Amino acid sequence: MEKADIIVVGGSAAGLTAGITARRHYPDKEILLVRREKQVLIPCGIPYIFGTVGSPQKDLVGDAVLEKNNIKLLLAEATDIDRERKILHTTEGDVGYERLIIATGSRPAMPPIPGFDLDGVYAVVKDVEYLSGLQQRLETVKDVVVIGGGFIGIELGDEINKVGDKTVTIVEILPHCLALAYDEEFCIEMERVLEDRGINIRTSSKVEKIAGDGKVEKVVLSDGGEIKADVVILGIGAVANVDLAQRAGLRIGLTGSIAVDRTMQTSDENIYACGDCAEKISFFGGRPSPLKLASIATLEARIAGANLFGIRRENIGTVGVWSTAVGDTALATAGLTEGMARERGYDAVAATIAGPNRHPGLMPGAANTRVKLVFERNSGVILGGQVMGGPAAGEIINAISACVQNRMTAEDIAMFQTGTHPALTASPIAYHMVNAAEMAIQQMRERGG
Amino acid sequence: MPKILVIDDDPDFLLAVRMVLEAHDFEMEAATTAEEGIDKVLSTEPDLVILDIMLPTGYEGFDVAREIREKHKLIDLPIFMLTSIHGTKKVPYRFAPDEHYLPVDVFLDKPIEPDQLVDTIQEMLGERREEPEHPL
Repeated sequence: MEKADIIVVGGSAAGLTAGITARRHYPDKEILLVRREKQVLIPCGIPYIFGTVGSPQKDLVGDAVLEKNNIKLLLAEATDIDRERKILHTTEGDVGYERLIIATGSRPAMPPIPGFDLDGVYAVVKDVEYLSGLQQRLETVKDVVVIGGGFIGIELGDEINKVGDKTVTIVEILPHCLALAYDEEFCIEMERVLEDRGINIRTSSKVEKIAGDGKVEKVVLSDGGEIKADVVILGIGAVANVDLAQRAGLRIGLTGSIAVDRTMQTSDENIYACGDCAEKISFFGGRPSPLKLASIATLEARIAGANLFGIRRENIGTVGVWSTAVGDTALATAGLTEGMARERGYDAVAATIAGPNRHPGLMPGAANTRVKLVFERNSGVILGGQVMGGPAAGEIINAISACVQNRMTAEDIAMFQTGTHPALTASPIAYHMVNAAEMAIQQMRERGG
Repeated sequence: MPKILVIDDDPDFLLAVRMVLEAHDFEMEAATTAEEGIDKVLSTEPDLVILDIMLPTGYEGFDVAREIREKHKLIDLPIFMLTSIHGTKKVPYRFAPDEHYLPVDVFLDKPIEPDQLVDTIQEMLGERREEPEHPL
């Protein structure tokens, strides 16, 4: 029987990063990565298959990184684990291990709306063949309905809308698209951007059924409205793939994900889990977090991969940082929005500042950028931030996330020593984060009397 | 003694679950159809419902969950959906709790280890018990 010191099951963002991290921390160990897919899709790139990138074949993670890190690859399905004897059973035979990392990812969620099983109804399945089939289908149709106005839904809708003569409608049950991640003012603006690009938006709309005679023909809403549809795509989230963990008798949490502690260890001390398959807790309050993002997966993988033979890192919980972009407009969020903060009981103070991200504003590449920061009033600690503007929003939000993670205060941020340049950043006088923090401090003082 | 209502049309499963639950000091009621299930939700007032999806004529478990929440307004009754639908249907997606479309608290696939079954129920009931009666 073959044996490896470390086996990683799963070859996407979490599995790959766990393998690389294990190599960095344990250079002398033999590492084997087991995955069933011949080709691994870049998960965040999936919406772009249908427009910008052009095909699933152009959205793949290369295997060169495995070779570079001296990680062996076994293309096989992991079927079960003999935990007592520390053996992984696969469709290509058994392999022994000292430590095992499960990074089996997630599958798309399907709401049981009547008609979910009609021909022409798709989920965002991370599979090259499945997505190629969807892409071919899209080439022949006119009316496309995307159910779910989260970031996957809007990116999919926008990309599909770019190719050919199509009518794309996004149906969202909440009052606004992206409402789970952004405050209302940002959602409204992004909806306007989408509508300007020709996409129909139906918010506050629950889908009653997907109707058709064997094949999808229309989507019926609970208010009686109907939308013609040749293809319906569900983009409402993902569910942890715990098949292997459950078969092995590992503990599954109430969220349906593999239960792990802060070191990413499962209920078996020799088995770790990371990524979409592993249970997450929120940075704020420690309750289970439903977020599933590749960036979270890789963080967890850097924890799991480092801790295999002794604790070196711990998970402080999921802050929740991500961005989306439609055309030239980027929207990014980290931590709690003002609305979420108030819902959770924080006495929140929010400050928003807008202005160009170059100085003077006539410099090439200048885009109006809006930054909103949210603080807890009594402590002044930052709870979150949102950014809307050009591509730099994606990096500004990472700086905000670092502030959140380190529980910095408005005063800390107001005292930032920033580097600025006319061709690269906002003016030092109007630097967004610093000025938003100053505005928040003023509000806190006014309230404090 | 907490009362668990199990709505499932598989007699072997009901028997196995009864043995596990009763060994852990739970009282168990059983129903094998959607109608009987709804009747017993109302008549036996269980502390928690374990609900299958594929009952005798189709995907009735989905409707039972919606009926409990929407028609009978039992918003706080914990519902634990336990099913083999994913193994049977071989679909590339997964059903999961959804506030709007599938109002259950926990969704797990069969088969389930007895320990996991008991842990999950205890955790679901425990969570409810820990909630303060009135906001602090």
